[in-house]
Amino acid sequence: MSMEIINSDQRDALQEIANIGMGQAGASIAQVLGTFVELSVPQIRAVDAAEIPATLAALAGDGVASAVRQAFLGELRGEAIVIFAEHSASDLADLLSYGDALDAPASRELLLDISNVLVGACLGGIAELLRAEIGFSAPSLLADQVATSKLLQADAIAARCALLVEVRFGLEKRVFRCHLVMLMPEDAITALRLALDRFIEEL
Amino acid sequence: MSVSVLVVDDSPMARKMLIRALPPDWDITITQAANGIEALSAYRQGGLDVIFLDLNMPDMDGYQVLEALRREDLNCLVIVVSADIQDAAQARVRSMGAIAFIKKPVDPARVKAVLMEYGLVL
Amino acid sequence: MNSSAPSAASVALLQSLVERIDVGIFAVDRAGSVALWNRFMAVHSGKSSANMLGQNLFAMFPELPRPWLEKKLESVFVLGNNAFTLWELRPYLFRFPHNRPLTGGLDAMRQNVTFLPLRTSGGEVTLVCGTIFDYTDTAMAQLGLHDAIAALNQEKDAQRQLIAKLETAQNQLLQSEKMASIGQLAAGIAHEINNPVGFVNSNLQTLKKYCEQMLKLIAAYQPAEARIDDPEILAEITAIKRALDLDFLQEDLPDLIKESEDGLFRIKKIVEDLKDFSHVDEADWQHADLNAGLDSTLNVVWNEVKYKATVDKNYGQLPAVECLAAQLNQVFMNLIVNAVQSLDESRGMGTITLSTGHQDDMVWVEVKDTGQGMSEDVQKRIFEPFFTTKPVGKGTGLGMSVSYNIVQKHHGRIELASVIGEGTRFRIWLPVKQGEPAAQ
Repeated sequence: MSMEIINSDQRDALQEIANIGMGQAGASIAQVLGTFVELSVPQIRAVDAAEIPATLAALAGDGVASAVRQAFLGELRGEAIVIFAEHSASDLADLLSYGDALDAPASRELLLDISNVLVGACLGGIAELLRAEIGFSAPSLLADQVATSKLLQADAIAARCALLVEVRFGLEKRVFRCHLVMLMPEDAITALRLALDRFIEEL
Repeated sequence: MSVSVLVVDDSPMARKMLIRALPPDWDITITQAANGIEALSAYRQGGLDVIFLDLNMPDMDGYQVLEALRREDLNCLVIVVSADIQDAAQARVRSMGAIAFIKKPVDPARVKAVLMEYGLVL
Repeated sequence: MNSSAPSAASVALLQSLVERIDVGIFAVDRAGSVALWNRFMAVHSGKSSANMLGQNLFAMFPELPRPWLEKKLESVFVLGNNAFTLWELRPYLFRFPHNRPLTGGLDAMRQNVTFLPLRTSGGEVTLVCGTIFDYTDTAMAQLGLHDAIAALNQEKDAQRQLIAKLETAQNQLLQSEKMASIGQLAAGIAHEINNPVGFVNSNLQTLKKYCEQMLKLIAAYQPAEARIDDPEILAEITAIKRALDLDFLQEDLPDLIKESEDGLFRIKKIVEDLKDFSHVDEADWQHADLNAGLDSTLNVVWNEVKYKATVDKNYGQLPAVECLAAQLNQVFMNLIVNAVQSLDESRGMGTITLSTGHQDDMVWVEVKDTGQGMSEDVQKRIFEPFFTTKPVGKGTGLGMSVSYNIVQKHHGRIELASVIGEGTRFRIWLPVKQGEPAAQ
């Protein structure tokens, strides 16, 4: 992508801030699940709207996945999407000793709960570092056990392009895998740039 | 005599944030490394007193660096500075020879407290 | 704003708001003890704030999903972030009566719940506040929509199937139109061939007679040869006879003529069968010999039959039957082709038996095969339009239903007997005379 949404200093700062947010999110679900969470190095890139579905599919890999979306509002605005690899819900249920009681609504609720914890901690941490006031919508299910190529439809995306911040969580010796993707529309990125510049200046 | 400090982090911003959080009156010379491999080669040149080590890095991560240092008779102080603040991560790096764990974002007071504990600053 | 202590008036205002707002608001501490219980909660639960404050939530509501809710509250206490439940996934937290006690609807109020961390002093979360929103009306509307969408989808599926059938029917119509024009073409060609075949046949008869006469003459000349004195003439005759191989020629000539007669006879037969089969000039009701119809049909499809089955014929004496002969031939053809297709080629040549007979005012035509037979299910459905056991593209599934309709039009019936692994027998019963008024 030729367009520079953010400059390299801003990108560098955002990368480290996302890293810290991810660490907080990881610690939160580690606490909820009572197990060690493996973290990735956050990836940041600008993508065209048309490329978003394919990018998400590439992150999730082949096969079937579920996704939860949650909006964040306020000085920083966008949507967080958590993509869960197949069998993640049953793996979590097993970890939380739900027993056999995991019917379809319970398994969806579990994904919503975990997404909420991840998004709240990760984006909450990022907003705190950037000294931005943000709130969250309730999470909702975006896709339930669909082919990864169908997680998101390109025509459902209103923005022309978006900034994509991706972090990955996994559990030791478990199939559970999820990606937290933070998408910000082009027009909301101005506010992010200002916040990043302020952050860099105050260092 | 000046203390030789190595700051290891893949993010230049993170290195900058850490360096800003070090006590301003601490007499040090700073070397920087962007990954585990660079960190090890800096260590092998000798003379290092303190290493501030990040955990999550591409190529060679902090755990691998700790492991390698231990095999080479770790003779400097390693302070892990990480965003991964899980209790299990903290326990693990301590068992691997790190003397302390500092959470990101780095709090200057916490850095000073750790350094004072080991008599590195007064 | 936060720095200055709120005035007594604004506190009273806030209290009144929390109390009167049409949203359930309650709060518990980490031990599960109730610290706030607004009017909405009191009205719907039937438990007043005075009764609830200081009590353990789970003790007062034993029906709450305790382990799950404890985990949820704990996560808000520990992590300090909002948590949610949605009615779509968990219809309600508290079982409150629904809001339409008279007009009916759902069994209980549908609720979306948000859990909020409350930090009364310092950074520690000391209370978790639950806010309960009534989503019953939304839920009912959505369930109605779900039903409507399901009904629409069902209709859409039915339409899709119907469209598929229409497409097949259209293809079949195109096919039968094509077949009809091929039939007309064949009848036209048959007519055109008839004339030359006629004069070739008559010429051949004359030629045969001339040959016999010529051979007779040559035979008469034969003894005269010995009396020829001119050695030159004699040598020439001998040379020609040797070159011609006269003995062979005399022997072969009648054979050649006989074979040609046979060939012509076969051409005439094929032409007749084609005309009989298509009956272009006999589209109306007529009195026909069904045995002859069966034979001409068999000749038309002979290529399909000859490598797969031997045909046994067992014809009885039949009166002329009032019928649409071309259409009945179509029925015979369907039955014969189906019989051939039911044969298992791995078991070698099969047998197809064609029988006819009559009883009182009815005649019957029977086509029996030694094929795979049909299951009861297939037997039940064999006359359904579009039913086929053949692979996609091999059959339209219309042949048998068309046959059924033709027999119906003749006021007849089709009997079917089939045993898996042994074979199938179709018997068509037709009245000799059609009642008044004759169909069409």
